[in-house]
Amino acid sequence: MKRFCLELSGPWACFTRPEMKVERVSYDVMTPSAARACFEAILWKPAIRWHVRRIEVLKPIRWINLRRNEVASVASTRNAETAMKAGRGDLALYIEDDRQQRAGLFLRDVAYRVHADLQFMPDRDLDANAMKYQEMFERRARRGQCVNQPYLGCREFAAAFRLVDDVGAEPAPLAETRDLGFMLHDLDFSNPADPQPRFFRARLENGVVTIPAWDSQEVRG
Amino acid sequence: MILQALDAYYRRKQADPDPAKRLPAEGLEDKEIPFVLELDASGALLDISDTRSAEGKKKIGQRFLVPQGVKKTSGVAANLLRDNAEYVLGVPDCKKLDESRGKGKEDDYRRRLIEMHAVFRSKIVALPTAAQEDTGVRAVLAFLDTLDVSALEHFPAFADIQASNPVLSFRLSGDLGLVCQRAAVIAAATAISDAAPDGICLVRNEAAAIERLHPAVKGVWGAQTSGANIVSFNLDAFNSYGKSQGANAPLGKAAAFAYTTALNHLLARDSRQRVQVGDASTVFWAEEDHDLENAIPDLFGDPPKDDPGRNVRAVQALYAAVLTGQFTSGGPTTRFHVLGLAPNAARISIRFWETATAFDLATRIKQHFDDLSIVHADYEPRFLSLSALLKAAGRKKSDGTYDIPPNLGGEMMRALLEGLPYPTTLMNHVITRCRAEQARKDQNAKPVPNVSYARAALLKASLNRWIRFRQSSEKEFTPVLDPANTNPGYRLGRLFATLERIQEDAAGGPGRLNATIRDRYYGAASSTPAAVFSTLLRLSKHHLSKLSTGLAIHRERLIGEIMDGFDAASFPPRILPLPDQARFALGYYQQRQTFFTKSEPKNEEESQ
Repeated sequence: MKRFCLELSGPWACFTRPEMKVERVSYDVMTPSAARACFEAILWKPAIRWHVRRIEVLKPIRWINLRRNEVASVASTRNAETAMKAGRGDLALYIEDDRQQRAGLFLRDVAYRVHADLQFMPDRDLDANAMKYQEMFERRARRGQCVNQPYLGCREFAAAFRLVDDVGAEPAPLAETRDLGFMLHDLDFSNPADPQPRFFRARLENGVVTIPAWDSQEVRG
Repeated sequence: MILQALDAYYRRKQADPDPAKRLPAEGLEDKEIPFVLELDASGALLDISDTRSAEGKKKIGQRFLVPQGVKKTSGVAANLLRDNAEYVLGVPDCKKLDESRGKGKEDDYRRRLIEMHAVFRSKIVALPTAAQEDTGVRAVLAFLDTLDVSALEHFPAFADIQASNPVLSFRLSGDLGLVCQRAAVIAAATAISDAAPDGICLVRNEAAAIERLHPAVKGVWGAQTSGANIVSFNLDAFNSYGKSQGANAPLGKAAAFAYTTALNHLLARDSRQRVQVGDASTVFWAEEDHDLENAIPDLFGDPPKDDPGRNVRAVQALYAAVLTGQFTSGGPTTRFHVLGLAPNAARISIRFWETATAFDLATRIKQHFDDLSIVHADYEPRFLSLSALLKAAGRKKSDGTYDIPPNLGGEMMRALLEGLPYPTTLMNHVITRCRAEQARKDQNAKPVPNVSYARAALLKASLNRWIRFRQSSEKEFTPVLDPANTNPGYRLGRLFATLERIQEDAAGGPGRLNATIRDRYYGAASSTPAAVFSTLLRLSKHHLSKLSTGLAIHRERLIGEIMDGFDAASFPPRILPLPDQARFALGYYQQRQTFFTKSEPKNEEESQ
C-alpha cells in the first residue's frame, strides 16, 4: 500500500455529529470518513480502497454559528421514476410550503494534511498492478483533477486540495493536545441496506490524530 | 462530547453521598403536580388539595419524584397514576372544547376523552400483581370505578381544575407521599427492562438497547413548553442511510435518560447553573463540586432587588480567586463545561460549547469585567449584567421591551468564554443606537444621554479586545479620560463634549437647556466631521463670550489642548469610519464624565 498526502483546506467545514444532525454541530476535527471521501473524489475505482491513517490539523479550531433555510421533505424516488417513464411530471419542492430553518455550529477556516494508504485488491482487476492506480492518483492530484469537488463534511463546503510530496518541508501542525471524545470512524457497508456506524476514541496529540485501522479493536460499532 | 459530558455529570451527581442532592434515578423524574386528590382506603374522595405556591406572578405546584412519564405525542398515551384532568377524570379542557366546537368536532373530542380515561385506568390495571395488591392502588381503582364528576363540583379546587386542565395525582389519606411514590409502584416502574441490546451506544461505548425517542428537555427559553429535543429526527429530510428516528444517532436508553435528566436539572427554573443571554439558554457545570458553578447567575445576571450588592461581591470573589489562583471549594484545574442552547420550535440547537479549566474561565470572565470598566456616576452599578449590555445595543420598543438582534447574545457569550473580541455587529449596533438616540428625551422632556454608561463600556471593551486580538500598536483605552490619546475620532469626541459643555455653561449650567448641539449635530459630527465642526467652533465663540473670564479661559485652553493633537492639514477629517465613530462616542462620554466628576455635588443631581 502506498501512502499519499493531501492538503485539504477551505473557508467552512461541517463534520456533523450523528447525534446533532438536525441542528448541526461539527466535530472539532475532520473525520476519517470525510477524509476518505476527499481522496475518493479524486480517484476511485472498484479495485482500490482508501485507508486514512493520519489527520494533521494545521489551523486553530474556530467556530461559527449560522442558521440556514432548508426543505423538510425528501424528493420522492417513485415520483421521479413515474416522471421518467411518462416523460413529464411535477417533481418540484416549494420552499414556501416546506421550509425548515436549521441552525449549525460549523468550523471556520480549516486546513488539514491527510495521510492515506491506497490499497489495491488484485482479484478485482486481474491484469493490472498497484503501480497503475498509484500513478493515476498522483497524476490526477497533481493536475487538480477530480470526479466531483472534494468537500469538507457537507457538499456546499468545497475543499481546495494539493498533493504534498515532501512532508518534511511543510509547516508543522497545531501544537495542541486534547481528547476529542468518540468520533465517527466510518460506516460499515457490509450490509448495504443497513449501514452501521463505527466509532473510535480520537485524541489530538500535538495537532495529529492517528486513525486506527478499520479492523482493529479500537474501532467499535 | 456534549452528550458524554452531560452523561458524566449525571453519573457524578448520582455518586453524591447526600441522597437529597442526587438526580432522579432511572425510571423516575421530578414533576410538578399542582393538585392532589386525597382518597381513603375504600376509594372515597376526601379532599382536593392545592399544592401551588405563588412565585412571582405564576403559581407553581410542588415537585414530586414520580415514575417517568411517557413521551406525549398526538396519540393517546397515559402516565402511571398521574396525568392531566382529561386522563384522570375525563373532564374536558375548556380551551380544547371550545376549539372543537368551533370546528364542529365536539363529538370526536368527547369520544377521545372517554378513550383517554379508559387508557389511564388500563395502565394501572396493567401493573404487576404485587403493585395491584397495594392499598393505595386499590383505592385509586375503586375511586375510578365509582367516579362521578358532578359530585366533585362542590370541592372549591374543582373550578380551577376545570379551567386549566392541570396534572392531578392521588394520595392515600395518612400517607406523606403520593400513591405513585409508594414502594410497590416505584419498584414496578423502575424494574430494569431486559430489552436485548441491538447496537453500540455512542455515548457510553457499550452494547445497549437503542432509544427510539429521547425524553424531552424542558426549560430552554423560547422552545415549546411541552419540551424540545436536541436529538430529534422528526422529518424525512433529517434521516440518513435509511434509518428512522433514534437509529440515526444510536444512544442507549440509560445514556438517553442520563443526559436528558442532567440537562433538565441544569435548566430548571430555580437552577443556579443557568443564565439567559439573549435567546441562548446557557448552562454551566464542572467535573467536580466547585464554587464557580453556583456563582454564575450572580456574575452575569441582574442582582435581585433586595440584595443589589450581590453581584459586586460575586465579582470581587472572582477577582480574588484569579489573583490568588485558589477557589473556596474546588481546584483551579477542574474542567468546566459551558453549553449554550437556542430554541427552534420542537428542536434545540447548540449555540456554543466550551470546555475550559476553572482558572481559565475565571480569568476570561475577569478580563471581560476589566474590559468593561469605565468611569461612571456613583449611582450606576459597578459591574454591568449581560442583559444590561444587550439592552444597550437594542432598540427600546413602545411596550418597554428591547428589540435585541437575535444571534447577538449567544455570540457575545461565546466571545466572552473563549476570550475572543466581541462580535463586530455588537459594536455597530451600539454606534447606531448612539446616533439614532441623539435627541432622545424622557417622559418629562428632559434629555436622556445617548452614549449611556452601558454603551460606552461596551464600546471600550470591544475596542480594547480588538486591539489585543490583532496585537495592533494602538494603546488600549483606559477607564478614565486619556488626554494623550491622539486618535482623531477620540479627540473629536472630546472636542464635541467640550463644545456642548460650553453651550450649557453659557445657558447657566448643565440641565438648563432641553436641547444642546448633541440633539442636532451628534450624528453628523461623528460620521462626517468636516461638514459640521467649522459651524460648531464658530458657534462656540458666541457661547464663550457669555461666560465669565476665568471659565472662558479655562474652556478655551481645553479646546486648544484637544486641537493640539490634530495635524493642521487634516483637521477636520472628512469622514470617520465606524471604529473611529466608536472612539468618538468613547471620547465624548469620558470627557463629559470628567466635567461632571470634578464639579460640586449640584452637578450629580442634574446629571440624573
